[in-house]
Amino acid sequence: MFFHKKLTHTITLHPSFLGPRMREFVTQRLYEDVKDSCSGRYGYIVAVVAILEIKMGKIIPGIGSAEFDVQYSAILFRPFKNEVMDAVVSTVNHMGFFAKAGPLEIFVSQVLIPADMKFNPHSNPPSYQSEEQKIEVGTLVRVKISGARVDATAIFAIGTIKEDYLGVIE
Amino acid sequence: MSKNKGLSRPPPEESLDAAKLELGEEFQDAECLLISEVKVLLEAQYDGRKDDKEISSVFMKTLEYVQKFSRYTNRDTIKEVRALLKPTNLEPFECAQLGNLCCSEYEEAKSLIPSIGDKISDEDLDSLLKQMDSLKKYQG
Repeated sequence: MFFHKKLTHTITLHPSFLGPRMREFVTQRLYEDVKDSCSGRYGYIVAVVAILEIKMGKIIPGIGSAEFDVQYSAILFRPFKNEVMDAVVSTVNHMGFFAKAGPLEIFVSQVLIPADMKFNPHSNPPSYQSEEQKIEVGTLVRVKISGARVDATAIFAIGTIKEDYLGVIE
Repeated sequence: MSKNKGLSRPPPEESLDAAKLELGEEFQDAECLLISEVKVLLEAQYDGRKDDKEISSVFMKTLEYVQKFSRYTNRDTIKEVRALLKPTNLEPFECAQLGNLCCSEYEEAKSLIPSIGDKISDEDLDSLLKQMDSLKKYQG
């Protein structure tokens, strides 16, 4: 699910940056720090929408660097257990398939694929096939997240399509 | 051995559950965005940043995703969908899910978003879904 939230981040600037373009440097540093970041608490920080406030900097005694508390609003992406989302299949193998929903990769194990869908290794590309549906690389699927684990820089999720209204999207 | 009373840990991952609408304290009251709204925001940023040396991979992957799955093509339609969802007493998460999944029947909606439960009657949900569907069909 995509969220819009206000967050705060502390930026430390070396004294050489404390000049007329100080605010610009703070903004640049914020974008760099937040780019490609992912945490258990906030999920993926997709983009900074707006910088709301850059508080007055505080000089750290002894070092001379200045610390700024920046308040900004951002788009976050975080999966939740039992959330249903659409995804694109990226890999298919005999253990199941991987589907991507934005930056998130969801693994759907063969155990959580309906029994009537069988893995066909001989089709090109390999796919899961039943009488009515076929899952191969590029197929759009509706997946329910059964669990998520957060690593240092990424979130891994497992999903299921074994319930009503899940599976291939026409 | 005394327990450290001051320490409060965030709840473990397993206790967060979208089906019960338990999103943890960070997201419980957070504003949820429709995929189409994210598309509008990201495209606006992308236009300004296209010439920058590196755009983050998370941004690009998300942009491709929302462009593929966005249901509503223009801002006016998104505003009207939001206006349709506002008077219901559904939580932001449920409203966003309804806008993203575009179910055709109330059974599908209640099955995919179990937290809705009895918050809205079947007829009201059905009429809401039909209105959202016609907005999608007849958008410019």
